[in-house]
Amino acid sequence: MRALKIAATGMAAQQMRVETISNNLSNMSTTGYNARRADFADLHYQQVARAGTINAADGTVLPTGIQLGLGVRPAAVSMQLAQGALSQTGGDLDIAIEGKGYLEVTLPSGQAAYTRDGALKRNGEGLIVTSDGYPVSPEVVIPPDTRSLAINPDGEIYGYFEPGTPAQLLGQFTMAGFTNPKGLEAIGSNLFTETEASGAANVSTPGLDGLGTVRQGYLEDSTVDAVREITELIEAQRGYELNAKVISAADQMLGATTQVR
Amino acid sequence: MENSTYTTLTRQVGLMREMQVVANNIANLSTTGFRQEGVIFSEFVQSVEGGPSVSMASARAHDTSLVQGALTRTDNSLDFAIEGDGFFVIETPAGDRLTRSGSFSASAEGDLVTNDGLRVLDAGGAPIFVPPGAAQIKAAADGTLSVDGQPIAQIGVVQPTDPLSLQREDGVMFNAADGYEPVENPRVVQGFVEGSNVDPVGQIARMITVQRAYELGQSFLDAENERMRSAIKTLLK
Repeated sequence: MRALKIAATGMAAQQMRVETISNNLSNMSTTGYNARRADFADLHYQQVARAGTINAADGTVLPTGIQLGLGVRPAAVSMQLAQGALSQTGGDLDIAIEGKGYLEVTLPSGQAAYTRDGALKRNGEGLIVTSDGYPVSPEVVIPPDTRSLAINPDGEIYGYFEPGTPAQLLGQFTMAGFTNPKGLEAIGSNLFTETEASGAANVSTPGLDGLGTVRQGYLEDSTVDAVREITELIEAQRGYELNAKVISAADQMLGATTQVR
Repeated sequence: MENSTYTTLTRQVGLMREMQVVANNIANLSTTGFRQEGVIFSEFVQSVEGGPSVSMASARAHDTSLVQGALTRTDNSLDFAIEGDGFFVIETPAGDRLTRSGSFSASAEGDLVTNDGLRVLDAGGAPIFVPPGAAQIKAAADGTLSVDGQPIAQIGVVQPTDPLSLQREDGVMFNAADGYEPVENPRVVQGFVEGSNVDPVGQIARMITVQRAYELGQSFLDAENERMRSAIKTLLK
């Protein structure tokens, strides 16, 4: 009895949807987080009677035939690439990306990772690092006697030293763009690595090649919309219950079959 | 003599199939662009030698509901929904296929592709290339895509020449065996995807009906079995 198994694929799909929603809701306040959405596709169809089969001796053909679907499968859990709202923090190393693009970070393994989380810090050597301590590439060192920092929209970092001396250019942030940012692999800690699907990183200056600009003193909020997530959650829960109902109905039909002597 | 049993059996088999279709509809409650399916029972009349004809029930056809599904906002610039008639055209190794699922993305090569990595075709039947450095992608209501103000392609929106010939395939796709033609005045909405058009209330009601009809059939078979048994007993006395 296939109805049981079909309903089971439906339950698994709804459960995956709830898992995606719960991850979105738990990341409601994660800087630079993009909400994810589970997408489903139907499974293979079994051809019981092909359309076009000759149905009668005079050559009448079946106009539609019968195809029995075998359920549902997850097709993708994709990022919704929307700009998050910017919230003001006033931090001199807090930067938000307005538009597309990612900051490049060097992982301890030497591999490059990408992030939209611009809550940057400086470490003991004055190097600009992420909250996890990974250096931002290209590496910029802030001298200890710097009084204040100014970052312009193009990502240029200026340091102010003694009063009366002009500001010094310390370095410039670069940004990485991807042909298919949805294809990036999330590795946790707001970081992504490039994959075959995302294409190679296209590193350029902020504001050029379709990349966004940098805004100092702001952080990008999570794009999770609580109202939408809760609506989806209700839908997913009811969907799960409906599938469970199909299982019990199919089971009762099987029960009726076994009772016939 | 056993015609009544066989007639009921054809109905039971059909009901089982219908149950499977209902289960598939409910399983695809949240499948983007999914179209609800229904089973059509037809009567199959057979003449019997020296007696009245016997009518069998046969679930031999299906229909696809083309009702508009609800649109869900995603804000992705490469997600599209069709309002009204029409399907997107997808290039697959087995030929062109139609779909209502407009959850697309750009591949690493810059082609507009589905979640399964199959290329989406434009109104002229060519793949759509999305420039990698595009800052803003906008779709007009007729499906014309423009990148930074420059039109690049028009997303193809077509309808099958014969809607009855649509065959379902894995991945929310349809095979239009009799070919397809462009839709006049298509309406494409950007940043939305069309949800499944399955009507849960209708499907649950159908499921209960099918289940009860099946149980009725089984108890009929039971009673028929009992009748034959007592007939044999009486005759053998």
